[in-house]
Amino acid sequence: MSDLPDPIDYAVPVFVALILIEMIVARLRNRARYEPMDTLTSLMFGFGSSVAGLLTGGMLLGLAVWVYQFRLLDIPFVWWAWPVCFVLDDLAYYVFHRSAHRIRWFWASHVNHHSSQHYNLSTALRQTWTGFFAGSFLFRLPLFLIGFPPAMVLFCAGLNLIYQFWIHTEVIDRCPRWFESIMNTPSHHRVHHATNPRYLDRNYAGVFIVWDKLFRTFTPELENEKCRYGIVKNLGTFNLLWSVFHEWIGIAQDLWRAPFRYKLQYLLAPPGWSHDGSRDTSDMIRRRWLESDTCQMPTQSLTLSSSAADRAAVRLPDGSAKAANTASA
Amino acid sequence: MNLLLLIGSLAAVLLLAWAAKAMGLGGDVRLDRDAALRIAAENGFQPTAIIVDHAGMAAIVRDAAGRHLLIRRHGVNFVTRVLHAPLDARLDQKLLTLGTGERTFGRITLDLGDQAAIWAAGLRAVR
Repeated sequence: MSDLPDPIDYAVPVFVALILIEMIVARLRNRARYEPMDTLTSLMFGFGSSVAGLLTGGMLLGLAVWVYQFRLLDIPFVWWAWPVCFVLDDLAYYVFHRSAHRIRWFWASHVNHHSSQHYNLSTALRQTWTGFFAGSFLFRLPLFLIGFPPAMVLFCAGLNLIYQFWIHTEVIDRCPRWFESIMNTPSHHRVHHATNPRYLDRNYAGVFIVWDKLFRTFTPELENEKCRYGIVKNLGTFNLLWSVFHEWIGIAQDLWRAPFRYKLQYLLAPPGWSHDGSRDTSDMIRRRWLESDTCQMPTQSLTLSSSAADRAAVRLPDGSAKAANTASA
Repeated sequence: MNLLLLIGSLAAVLLLAWAAKAMGLGGDVRLDRDAALRIAAENGFQPTAIIVDHAGMAAIVRDAAGRHLLIRRHGVNFVTRVLHAPLDARLDQKLLTLGTGERTFGRITLDLGDQAAIWAAGLRAVR
């Protein structure tokens, strides 16, 4: 029973088929949902992540087995242990995921998953190559210490990852209400991938959205505020290696340049933190947005009118209009 | 994951990327004035002036504080950068070429018509 297969191996053909189906839907409804270069980059992230998994999987398993020898309980492979393990593993995922957005060291690895400006099933496969280096596995170690067998935990982790695949889509709008209230869904996870100040750093859940509700990090998707996907400072390139390593390089540059007493903060403070205040964290962006008028006007566009006169003027957030002083090209 | 599955995965990656291109996904998205204003607002810019490249590939927005935001196309989306000194800018008649200092972001040439020299002069104030 301890020789369990990796469920992701069996899921890969289903992933490919579903991405093809979603591409066909995009072809029929909205071609901009996919961009070939972005798709290739995302899928190469997934492929590279699998290679990295091959290289580090043995070390991960060895560490799990080593920690398991210090376990508090002997939890056998019995039916009731599976759902308990799955739920606790999802809680561990929530803690990891929240940390991955709030601590730059972990963000440097996790940012890979967010660096696409698209939100489709290929984005789900945009997985990091540097998760093991960052120490993401640390968050699952308590499960081995409790006494869940490593094979059981890793199997549940695989199922968790498979669940999260299908929620990376705009094709599904809302699920039944009861389902939306308990489970992570495409709608909830769209919010997580959005950079709108209202949505920034919310909805960290893997499978059960109840964790976000419990720990007050939940924000629902609003009908009148469309998600803008990506990261606060989008990369502007499809260069795969830069996409993989850019935040690590940024950390190295900051560590090199920063005064000694700030160096640790460039590793452990939230992404966007700087000692001279020259950059923005998500908290700063949200605070500024809350203080602005626009936070009450999710549907307001600066220029909604189709009239030539209105389009020739710049509409300011306070509702007044100011003539543009240059001609558009 | 065994070696066969890894090779299969790589083949699937290439197949899907080819399928996305063969289906004509993506598209030729261009900027207009409204889109540039919306993007500027999303970036916390309250524009006092805006200029859009003739081909709609990029735009520059200026706010009351004299900050300049460069907007350029990236696939079917747009990316932005606040311009900082030292600015890599070159004016050639109606064409203004800008670099942000980020090698991976690249340089962008905007056809600004008669406004090119005016905007180039305005960019001298970038701090």
